[in-house]
Amino acid sequence: MALLTRLSPAALRLLALLAVLALVLIFFSTQIEGYLNGRLFNRISSSVAIMALIATGQTLVILTRNIDLSVGSVVGFSAFATGSLISNHPDLNPLILLLYAAAVGTGFGMLNGVLVAYARIPSIIVTLASMALFRSALVEYSNAKSITSESLPAWLTDFPNMPVFSLGAMEFRAGFTASLVVVLIVHFALTRLRPARQFFAVGSNPEAAEMAGIDAHRTIFAAFALSGLMAGLAGFMFLARFGNITVVAGLGFELKSVASSVVGGVNIFGGSGSVIGAFLGAILVDLLETSLVRWAVVSEFWREAVLGALILLAVTTDTLFSRRLAALGARKSKESAK
Amino acid sequence: MTPTLALRAVSKNFGMTAALTDMSLELFPGEVHAIVGENGAGKSTMIKIMTGIHQPSSGGVEIDGTAATLTGSKAARLRGVAAIYQEPMVFPDLDVTENIFISATKGLFLNRPAMRRAARDLIARIGMTLDVDRTAAGLSLAEQQAVEIARALSQDVRVLIMDEPTASLSAHEASELRRIARQLADDGVSVVYISHRLEEVFELADRVSVIRDGKHISTKLIADATPQSLIAEMVGREVGNYFAKTPSTATTETLLSVQGLSADGVFSDISFDLHRGEILCMAGLIGARRTDVALALFGMLKTSAGTVTYKGKPLKMTSSREAIDNGIAYVSEDRRKLGLAMALPIRWNISLATLEKYLSPLGLIDTRAEIATAWSYKQKLNIRTPNTEIAVGTLSGGNQQKVMLAKWLNMNPALLIVDEPTRGIDVGAKAEVHALIRAFVAAGGAALVISSDLPEVLAMGDRILVMREGRQMAILPHDSATQHSIMALATGQKDAA
Repeated sequence: MALLTRLSPAALRLLALLAVLALVLIFFSTQIEGYLNGRLFNRISSSVAIMALIATGQTLVILTRNIDLSVGSVVGFSAFATGSLISNHPDLNPLILLLYAAAVGTGFGMLNGVLVAYARIPSIIVTLASMALFRSALVEYSNAKSITSESLPAWLTDFPNMPVFSLGAMEFRAGFTASLVVVLIVHFALTRLRPARQFFAVGSNPEAAEMAGIDAHRTIFAAFALSGLMAGLAGFMFLARFGNITVVAGLGFELKSVASSVVGGVNIFGGSGSVIGAFLGAILVDLLETSLVRWAVVSEFWREAVLGALILLAVTTDTLFSRRLAALGARKSKESAK
Repeated sequence: MTPTLALRAVSKNFGMTAALTDMSLELFPGEVHAIVGENGAGKSTMIKIMTGIHQPSSGGVEIDGTAATLTGSKAARLRGVAAIYQEPMVFPDLDVTENIFISATKGLFLNRPAMRRAARDLIARIGMTLDVDRTAAGLSLAEQQAVEIARALSQDVRVLIMDEPTASLSAHEASELRRIARQLADDGVSVVYISHRLEEVFELADRVSVIRDGKHISTKLIADATPQSLIAEMVGREVGNYFAKTPSTATTETLLSVQGLSADGVFSDISFDLHRGEILCMAGLIGARRTDVALALFGMLKTSAGTVTYKGKPLKMTSSREAIDNGIAYVSEDRRKLGLAMALPIRWNISLATLEKYLSPLGLIDTRAEIATAWSYKQKLNIRTPNTEIAVGTLSGGNQQKVMLAKWLNMNPALLIVDEPTRGIDVGAKAEVHALIRAFVAAGGAALVISSDLPEVLAMGDRILVMREGRQMAILPHDSATQHSIMALATGQKDAA
């Protein structure tokens, strides 16, 4: 207990999440034959490579007491737009292509940001609407055509699976590694850059933020722009991984990204959380999903229900846990004051 | 000497209401300048002008002798003006170090070790001990205030405004805070100290200004002021010419008898009887804990000692449902938050607490009966509205207050507890609300009215219970109460008899 109270609550949360991840792995390895192997790692890591980016952006938005439901549509649009650009100009510099994807995403994010931060419309309404609008824009833009992997240059479709380094049976491929690097950069920025602290401040106590001279509008705008940027990058990854892009690309990613963040300990009411947590959350959600598919005990009709129940369990445990911890901390400080 | 900050003939209007009129004030380096005034005298507006949250409608702010436009709290902080409040403004999810440096504007990278060291130095400078790694959520109020003061110091504060900083602190914490305020002034900061506690003002301040009704009344060296002179200036207006006293309708039948009621750390030893036909007013300043006594009677605050007898039987105070079933109604001071559903029609609001009265045998709402009730209250209470279907939020404050009263009167309560019945409504509507409450008690009920408006207390109260910081100072019969005597008790200048 002494050790537990010495660690920061944030570190404890991450530890708890790692413990749950370990438990899930152990449990399924007793249930499914040949479960723990390199293939499992590959499968999870290549899918998390996309979701981790989206969840990172979603976390930034949730920290400011908002939500971004348009990310799935932004991923779809960015994947399609990037795909059609490279199909028409196969010799395009890869860096320019990446910047294009980022710019498309950021543009959509800024649109959300203006409406939420400056027009002061609740984010759930703005992004619910823009989710539909961006998706329709994609349908219109695609003109009922799809991007196929044959039309893409080989460097692009090979990129996600390029091996970078290995740890035992775990092969880190370029897609996952790149995404991991982005998460680590954002984590570093969020914890070590001064302006980044304002995301936490605005979500923790908006009134106090105003009194402390923080520009809440600019902070919220920045969160949405960054969320768009992340979704744009995720669109690039999505294109590279799947090659075939239709108008339903990225459908449902918005809820999965919220689930990843919340399972990862990001407070849905803003003010606390970390992108590392959201990253682990994305892994946990994906691991559960993948494992349930292979677990014969649960029929496919019940899979969604089990997944939902497990997410609820994770969040409930986390809430109760942090509440207890806060009570414990308060008691301790009271005692030391006496 | 040039004043660090000065207000020059500042006026501030909100719509038709003048919150400040021609306010002038000079703050010099190294002084603790106390500001005293009744609730609603304009102190908060003045602070908001000094800290850039409001812009003056006319007049201006000077810093170091030159005119300054403070466009927001950030601009004010950059000029060295900061404020701390009774309820500290901290970020519960961030730790002490992060809270202190949240307003910093220089540097891109956070240097955590250096920040922690600086935070520790700032905390030590104000003579506190505090773990700089703790999250603010677990800090006591006094600790949170220390964090706010440290934040101000980190930005080289030159004018520190403290708004009722000790209202929620224990005696020891309050004296610590006063020590800090004095120390800051000795370091050359101009400290503005707003307090209802006159003894505190006399202990700490170098100069004292009285404001009343949004106007500057006087500024004196503390040696030239006496508690009596300050109270006289705070109350100011002539007594008795504001509202006529409604004649008493009190009977001798006791409805409610409270003996030694206490709630740990909130209020203690409250005792009074309330008779049918009587209006008992509770007077006091912010922080006197009057609302908490009302909440306790209404079953929403746990008590630790004392007995309450109601209609001759012990009253269980466990839930608001129980209170309502017993015929006790509580009309909250916060219409917006606790009282009315602003977007819903008048009719729905009136029947909200008593909907079971309007159910047809099939369990559907009998709209016709509901409308009839709403119309009868519209007539009786003179609610000025074309019909009862429009949203309550579109009515004026006075009419909203009447709808709220209608909602509770429709319950046919025996005991009506009303918290600040006329806050923010105009004089004509005030008199109407007074008459309504009097009519209610005359018909056999009893009312406990909490009011910070002294003329109102004198106009309504058959007896007046004065509270101060959770203690009952006295119960004055109407005929021997004056604004001066109530204020003297409420500020602690006169002790409980």
